[in-house]
Amino acid sequence: MTQTLTLTVDRKTHVLAVSPNIPLLNVLRNDLALNGPKYGCGLGECGACSVLVDGMAARACVIPVSSVVGRDVTTLEGLVVDGRLDPVQQAFIDAQAAQCGYCLNGMIMTVRALLNRTPMATATQLRTALEYNLCRCGTHIEILAAAQRAVILNAASSQEASHE
Amino acid sequence: MSESQGLIIPAEWPSGLAQSVRYGVVLRPPHYAWDGDKFTCDQLLEVAPLHDVSLSGNVDIVMEGNFVGVVADSLLAAQEAARRLTVTWHPDGDNGQVAGVSPIAREVMRAATADEIAVSTAERDSQRHDHEYGWPSRMGWGDVPSWIIADCTADSLRVWGQTATPETLTRDLALLTGLDANSISLSVTSPEQISGLGRHCGDDAVVDAALMSHAIGRPVAVWLDASYVRDVHALGLAQRISIDAEREASGKILRYRNRQAHAASDVPAVGLLLSGAMTDDAADEARASAPGETASESVRLFSPYVFQDECLSARSEKERNASVETGSTDDTLADVQQAFARESFLDEVAHESGQDPIALRLQHLEDPRGIELIRSVSSRAQWQEAVSMSSGPRDTVTGRGFAYSQLPDRHQRVEEGVRSAWIADVEVNRITGDVTLTRLVVGQDGGPALDTARLQQTLQARVLGEAMPLLGNEAAFDEWGDGRRNIVTPVRRDSAMAVTDTAVTDMPPGDDARLTSMSGLPDDVDMSPGVAVIANALFDATGVRFRQPPFTARRVRQGISDRDMTSAAAIALRAERPASRWLKVTALTAVASAVAVAWPWKSAIAPISRPAANVYSAQTLERGRLVAAAGDCAACHTAENGVVNAGGRSFETPFGTLFSTNLTPDEKTGIGRWSYPAFERAMRHGISRDGHNLYPAFPYTAFAKVTDADMQALYAYLMVQPAVSTPPPDNALNFPFNRRELIGGWNSIYHDSTPFSPDPTQSELYNRGAYLSEGLGHCSACHTPRNALGAERGGNDYLSGAMVDGWEAPALTGMSRAPILWSEASLYDYLREGKSSLHGVASGPMAPVVAGLAELPEYDVRAIAHYVAAQMDAPAGDSLAMREEAQSRVARSQTSPAGMEGGERLFEGACASCHVEHLVPSFSSATTSLALNTNLHSASPDNTLQTILGGVHAEHAPGVGNMPGFSDSFTDAQVVTLTRYLQVRFAPDNPPWRDVEQRVSAIREEHRNASSSHP
Repeated sequence: MTQTLTLTVDRKTHVLAVSPNIPLLNVLRNDLALNGPKYGCGLGECGACSVLVDGMAARACVIPVSSVVGRDVTTLEGLVVDGRLDPVQQAFIDAQAAQCGYCLNGMIMTVRALLNRTPMATATQLRTALEYNLCRCGTHIEILAAAQRAVILNAASSQEASHE
Repeated sequence: MSESQGLIIPAEWPSGLAQSVRYGVVLRPPHYAWDGDKFTCDQLLEVAPLHDVSLSGNVDIVMEGNFVGVVADSLLAAQEAARRLTVTWHPDGDNGQVAGVSPIAREVMRAATADEIAVSTAERDSQRHDHEYGWPSRMGWGDVPSWIIADCTADSLRVWGQTATPETLTRDLALLTGLDANSISLSVTSPEQISGLGRHCGDDAVVDAALMSHAIGRPVAVWLDASYVRDVHALGLAQRISIDAEREASGKILRYRNRQAHAASDVPAVGLLLSGAMTDDAADEARASAPGETASESVRLFSPYVFQDECLSARSEKERNASVETGSTDDTLADVQQAFARESFLDEVAHESGQDPIALRLQHLEDPRGIELIRSVSSRAQWQEAVSMSSGPRDTVTGRGFAYSQLPDRHQRVEEGVRSAWIADVEVNRITGDVTLTRLVVGQDGGPALDTARLQQTLQARVLGEAMPLLGNEAAFDEWGDGRRNIVTPVRRDSAMAVTDTAVTDMPPGDDARLTSMSGLPDDVDMSPGVAVIANALFDATGVRFRQPPFTARRVRQGISDRDMTSAAAIALRAERPASRWLKVTALTAVASAVAVAWPWKSAIAPISRPAANVYSAQTLERGRLVAAAGDCAACHTAENGVVNAGGRSFETPFGTLFSTNLTPDEKTGIGRWSYPAFERAMRHGISRDGHNLYPAFPYTAFAKVTDADMQALYAYLMVQPAVSTPPPDNALNFPFNRRELIGGWNSIYHDSTPFSPDPTQSELYNRGAYLSEGLGHCSACHTPRNALGAERGGNDYLSGAMVDGWEAPALTGMSRAPILWSEASLYDYLREGKSSLHGVASGPMAPVVAGLAELPEYDVRAIAHYVAAQMDAPAGDSLAMREEAQSRVARSQTSPAGMEGGERLFEGACASCHVEHLVPSFSSATTSLALNTNLHSASPDNTLQTILGGVHAEHAPGVGNMPGFSDSFTDAQVVTLTRYLQVRFAPDNPPWRDVEQRVSAIREEHRNASSSHP
């Protein structure tokens, strides 16, 4: 049974006629053509589908679309503001932390959510935070290096922002 | 600032108070009552000191006479301390009651005598008329729930709160504290609450707060809410007025006798009576010394009518002091009480003797100004024309009433007093009992230079203020909406309000002094016929005579349903003596149930065509919507992904598979052709319209307790929903359970169709919760185990937990296995939000229940939580000890148990991403640790296995969270391994489940069947 739901995704408002129970991920990819979040396990285990809901990490494959009505959803695409990449995105490019790249959406969104609460995260904290994001290619070393660079870029960018 | 138990402390609290204020809760004696003359109550023997160390902060016990109060640093702490306090009372033997009668029976008997006056439907045709009218000591518990604060120091008392009678309250406070009235400052809420109808419990709460503040020397806040209804009941009537008359055959009244039973028109605050500060002498002294007041006003009886033989008397202990200025609150109240009794009585005489109520009055008036005024008002209001009935929904009835008064002026000069004639039109919703004042025509002969516009303005403001307490809701077990009137407004704000100005202008104009006195609330606007006019209009509309205000929705509803019952059995009872009215009520009940038994159980009730949608008014439909939400019809009558209430959901029972039916008003496949009697029979007795028995999977055993008003509103609501054509699938029951006729025998053994009756020893909140839980909410249908024939077990098994549809409905009693004890606050969170921080989320069949409860007003959900908490003997809030226990359980579950690597691997892969805290703020993770999860601590693994295989799908309760099912990714062996791991890690003190292997395959089989039957 479809309902009309109003969603805020990447700072834009969308009015959609969808079933309230289908996973948020399906709506993002199929209805809004936002392909940053990936379909991985479909059970909330791998993290490839991660998005931000009100700045918190969320596994979009296991939450019904109705649960984010009235909240701010941010996808990988939405991290880009005025053509400028988010420091976390930039850090992953700088560190070339990808092999197949399927898990990267989740890695970036999870680091973003962590830095929202813990801006000066230590290497150990980054490790714990990424514990439940799976990568099958074995790029873990590069990913952790990228995450540590993200802390530095993020700190620099927020300093810049506070000076503006 | 802070928040305690959801009660937000208002920002407008005086600065400084918010920091220093403490919170008080009072403990009233088990029995206390005002009989009209004196106050009786149980005597306080002993209060055992509190030894419980788990209570946080300081707790003070305030004892004065028979007053007991508990003061603590938060409302929650005070409530908790009050709950744990052991208070010993000596039962008051000398309260004029029959010896050997239990307190409950006594309460019931007392309530019955009060109700006798409140509502009467008896008809008589003799030429003697004799009726008694009552006035309650408290018009209600208050306007809206609110904080009452008192700050009492050695030389001053400041009070913030609500009152309708500031003068009387000041008198009580002066008596309590010994302070001069000038040292007492009242900051009361809106002045329109001053209705002139008497006191409400705001005064009692203020005195409670002042008493406790006086004792501990700090400001004390008391929460005034529906729990104060107990005072309303205990204080009973403040005034009884009996009038009898004899008339001749022509209709003219020959002899008229008016007796007023009590000396005073108001009753002091409960705290004052309990503490002993109000002795009889003190009361008299206070009355005598208060400025502008003596006991004399109670004998200031006056009637504008002239009867051949007239006797007006009132009891009085004081000499009448004729020189006293009148116009005080008490005085006005006495006038209103007199006018109510007299004008109601004349209306009764008119109806009983078949005369026009206005003609009867004109026959007994000699005052030409009064006669002219009444004629003018009645022509302006078109009295002779019937109130229009055609338009509007058919669940409402309309009526018109008249009342008149003439009062002496401030110098006791009757001839120069104000004459006031009122005609009111009301609209009464027969189902919900809501009364709407649709038109009011008021004529006043106020002497010289009456400013009509000004009078109209004053009336409009005051009538609204007066009608609110008169017609508002009250807290009661069958009332929806907490007495806050958030469902309907009883007075239509656009109601026509006409005022005829004075018809007599032979007084010299330009009297400046009188014009000045019009500023503020003018004394010379006479409001006294305002109550009688509504009572008379109500009688015209409903045929029910209300001999005691207020005319709340509950009383009106009750009156109408009693009237319906009486008219059915009227012939048999007509000859009864009026003195045995109490017995009559019993007899009526017996007759009614005899009728019910003689019903054609098996025969079909003739089909009707679907009622038109415009038959019902918005109030009825709104009530019906709430009833449907509380009963949660949709949870069972909606198939997975199906249309709401169109039926087809399957139920696995030990006797086979059942499917729910189509509840939409479709004429072929739904209930579109069901009349109300057919619907009611199905709901109360489990018999379908066509006469076949319904299976008790449909909880008619609980719905039998639903009140008539709720049942009718539910019928109305269901009948106006969109019709959906969906034939329900055929049931697949095993022999012999497929033989429906056997249910008839089952009913005779197991079905109790007695309606719900509130427990008079319990609070309103408890009774409301009991009504919702035992009736509409049918909690026990799932949470009580059933015997071999599918009937709920009683006694200690009630709510002790059961298996339903493959899920365990946990015990709601002391047998609960929750790792952290439930509290009333946790239960409320769980029922309102679908989750509780110390217990987890609603899931399985409970998820749609929470979704249904989301429609209910806050008070109702609180009531259910309160009732369930009482069954569990649960504390009011989560104590510090409980929170510490939770923390320690979570901490102990942090490390993975050794030697269970298989389970650990499965857990880390499938569960940990959401069930383990890993620094990242997460929207989709579980918020309550598995270490607190009731399912893992249960005696059976079913709910855990259901959750692993099927997940958590609380689609209808947003914010509760969702979990995917793992039935397609785990083998049975993996589920077993994971389950064992979960139990050892998160519920280590629980003995390992024995039958996990069998239960996994059985539950997986159910999931397979369920998914194949709903493609």
